[in-house]
Formats: sequence, structure tokens, C-alpha cells
Amino acid sequence: MSEKQVTPIRVAAIGMDQRQRNALVMLFSNHCCNRYILVEEESSEICIIDLDLYGGERLWHEFRQRHPDRPLILASLKPRQVENGHTLFVKKPIPVIQLMGAIDQLSETLNKATGRPIDQTEPIAEARQAEPQQIKQTASRPARNVASLMTEAQETVFIGTSPDIDPDNQEQLAKIYYDPQHYLQGHIQEALNQATRHNRNVSIEGPWPAIDLMIAKQRIFVDAGEKHLRPFCTVPDATREVELRFNEQQRPTTGMRDYSVYAFIWQLALWASRGRLPSGTNLNQPIYLKRWPNFSRLVVTPHALAISALWIKQPRSLLDTAISLGIPQRYVFAFYSAANAVQLAGETRRAVDTLLEPPAIEQANNRGLFSRLLQRLRG
Amino acid sequence: MSDYKIIFSGPVGAGKTTAIQSISDIVPVTTDEQASDMTRNLKNGTTVAMDYGLIKLPGTERIHLYGTPGQERFDFMWQILTNGGIGLVLLINNHRPDPFGDLHFFLNAFEEFIKQGKVVIGVTQMDQADTPRIEDYHLQLENNGIKIPIFDIDARVKKDVSILLEALLYSLDPGLDD
Repeated sequence: MSEKQVTPIRVAAIGMDQRQRNALVMLFSNHCCNRYILVEEESSEICIIDLDLYGGERLWHEFRQRHPDRPLILASLKPRQVENGHTLFVKKPIPVIQLMGAIDQLSETLNKATGRPIDQTEPIAEARQAEPQQIKQTASRPARNVASLMTEAQETVFIGTSPDIDPDNQEQLAKIYYDPQHYLQGHIQEALNQATRHNRNVSIEGPWPAIDLMIAKQRIFVDAGEKHLRPFCTVPDATREVELRFNEQQRPTTGMRDYSVYAFIWQLALWASRGRLPSGTNLNQPIYLKRWPNFSRLVVTPHALAISALWIKQPRSLLDTAISLGIPQRYVFAFYSAANAVQLAGETRRAVDTLLEPPAIEQANNRGLFSRLLQRLRG
Repeated sequence: MSDYKIIFSGPVGAGKTTAIQSISDIVPVTTDEQASDMTRNLKNGTTVAMDYGLIKLPGTERIHLYGTPGQERFDFMWQILTNGGIGLVLLINNHRPDPFGDLHFFLNAFEEFIKQGKVVIGVTQMDQADTPRIEDYHLQLENNGIKIPIFDIDARVKKDVSILLEALLYSLDPGLDD
């Protein structure tokens, strides 16, 4: 049995330019199976006006003067009480199905009112599908290297080269911990706590170059480059003589290096930890990640994005994370130390998290494609 | 030839055109023209149809990059554009009067992408307006139980746009080979 031929409903887009009309033609043709067709106002059964267009209100009122009873769909971002027997309102953004429903509803009303089939003799202004856009094919731009991954040299500095440990070997276990309080990291964290508690700026004074924390702006100013600062961050107890001093006035910061406080602590934690963990971290306790770190403004350790994605989905222990992703433990430890230092990651305290075994990583259907795109993005 | 697409969306002036330019392998097709309504005060030319860029992968695979029109009045295009997309890059201009309003508007418009965890957010113009902070955006979303990558980005910087896309890929599959 052949399918019954359905006469398309003729729709006009009032006040819209050619590109919008092309888009509607494409919508009607590709997504609405030609149930509707875009025509000029004179030959339309139903019209659409976007009230958010420049002069949209005027278009509406002029339209009503010309066609007091013609079915009309009004669209706007702001809800409006404009509906009556021949006017429907749809709030933007308009799902296609809702637009179709509104057209169908008005069409049905129209047919009931007229009691006649739709006249097909009037000219159709635009029946053809919108032309696809021409794509200007030009020579590829050379891909620049993407610095989202550390270089090998940076990796050694920030993460070290420690091999995986056997968690049952106490001697090996003892080597994977460090105490942040014995490094500049701990002093800066304490300074942040004090500054936050008292809502005052703090200077961290010691044998290192001047470091000022401006609490309102959440910034840290350092009067030296990383080369001069790093020794104080990597050597334990190089910072015994430390004094935190509140500053009533903001000190001049001209010529000083400016960091976000979290990016600074993140970096200090990487320097101090070098692929180790804060003392007392339980290797088998599931780790939560409160939220994605702002990676575009941080030192991104190897596999940090994968670890984040995994922990955001479900808490998982440090050892299980390394095994699940098939990566060296030091990468997991380094990332955890940095994320823990800025209070984004920690051990779960809920009993349920330790009872549930984390599921295997779900593989996307397009994993091959995603991997190739990843490689391309990294140059 | 295998074709896939990634959608860039967000309000006027959020950097969609620029972000596509930053990572496209071809000179993007940009259909900017002088806007004739309220958006003209925000940008000299605003995108009225769509932007198009392309990432070429080895072999015949292609990733098409589509930027949705910046003016909300073109929103019926969104559903067409997003159908079958790998994911959505939502750019929010921190310098606009109500960035959280923009955030919720667009997340509502692309609800399906949110449900499938196929969204990343880049906050632009933070050098012009440092509040709300990235943490504030997270808080807005966490109230609705949404945990997605939100990065402070400069759409002109390829590295910033790239890391946003990398986060999108890892969100979809944390087990991707590095």
C-alpha cells in the first residue's frame, strides 16, 4: 500500500533574513520530513515571528494589522502571555519537536475553522533545500606543539623517577611519603588558612625572596623567579625560620611574579612531593575529586586528565587508579598530592565507598577516534 | 570518509569563532556580518549563521567544528547542529552582565549533552572580569549535581582550547591511551 501524500503546511518566517530562512528550509526538509514548507507571507497558512529580533514587537503588531486572524507563532527568550485562538507562544530555545507541535496545532485549528482542504495552487517561494555552505579548502596550518604535557625534563623535576612500590613492603612504603609541613608548601598553606580566617593579607617571611598573599584577590606575589624559589620548595626543613606577618596595607607588587594562590600551592606541592604522597595517606582508601581542577592555569602532570575523569565518576584508591589506567604509581601520587594541597582531593570517609568495588572503566564506542584526536591535539 | 563533529556554543562575544580558529586545520569559514540588532554593541561583527572549522586526522577521518550562532534568535539551528555531535564546548564570557544566567540558559538548551556528560565549559574574558571565579561556576553546577570540566581559557590560545577538548575526551572515556 502506498503512503498517502501529505500536503505540506505552508509557513512564513516574518522579518527573518536569508540565512535564517535557509536554516528553516533545512530544518523542514531534513528534520521534519517535508511536513512543512517555507513560503512567503502572502501564501502562508502559518507565520513565525521572533520577538527578540530587532523591531520584533513592531513586526508583530504590523502583521496583526495585515492579518488579524492568521495563525501565528511568537517566539522569545522571555515568557509572554500572548496566546489566543490563533496565536501560540513558544519560549526559546525552541526544541524542534515543540516547533512542530505548535505548527501542527495551529494548522489543525485553521482546518477546523475553514472546513476546507488547503489550497495548493499558491506559489511556493522557497522549496529548495538550503545550499550547503562552501568550505574554503586551504592549506593546513602547521600544527604547533601543545604544552599540556610536561617535557621529560619537567617530569623529572616535578615527579621524579621512582619505580612502583610493593604496598606490602614496609621499606618501600616508607619512601613514598613526605610531610608538607617540612616544606614551603606547608607554610604557604598555613598562610592561606590564616589569611582566610582573618581576611587579611599575609607576608610569608623567611630566607627566601619576598612572598605576599593578597587574600581578596586570591593572588600570591613572589619577588623572584622559579629558579630561585625552587630550592626552598624541594629541600625539607630549608624553611625553619618562617614568620607569617599580617599586612594592613597592600604592599607594592611592581616587578613581582603574580600567581593564583591555588596554582602556586599546586606547583609547590608538586615540587615538594616529587611523585610522593602526604604522610598518612592510605593507599587503599578510595579518593574523591571534589571538582575538575582548572587545568588551563596549572602545571598538568602526566595522565592528570585521565585520573580526574576517573575520580569524578567514582572514588577509587590510589593503587587501583594506577592499575586501572595502567600508569606508574608516581603519576597518581603526584597528582593526588597537588590536588590534595588545594583541597580538591581527599580520602573518602563514607563506609559505602570502601564496600563497593570500583567498576571497570567503560570504554567509549569511539575510543580509537578519541585517541587519534587526542594525539592530534597534543601535536 | 568518516565524519564527526564537535559543537562550540555560548553567548555573543564568548569566543566561539576564535576558539575554532585556534585549533582548526583549515582557515575557518566564518559567516560574520554586521549585526543589526542589540548585539552590535558587543562585537563589531557577530556570527549570524555558523562558523565552521575542521581537524584532519590521519587517514580519512575528519572532526568538523561547528560554532552555533551567537544570537539566541537562531536557536532552532542548535538542535540540527548538535544532533550526533561528539560533544559540546560551551564558552561563557565572564565579562557579560549575567554570566550565570548565560550558563544556565545554555545548559538548559543543551540538556541532552549534559545528561550524557558530553560537555566542557571554557570561561573567557577572565582577564577583564575576575569574578565570578571558576569555583563559583562549579558551585552553580554542583547544586544540580553536575561535575564537568570548567577551565579559565583564552580562546586565542591553542593550548587552552586543546586542553578543554582533551578534558572532553577523557570525560567520555577516562581509559584513553595517552
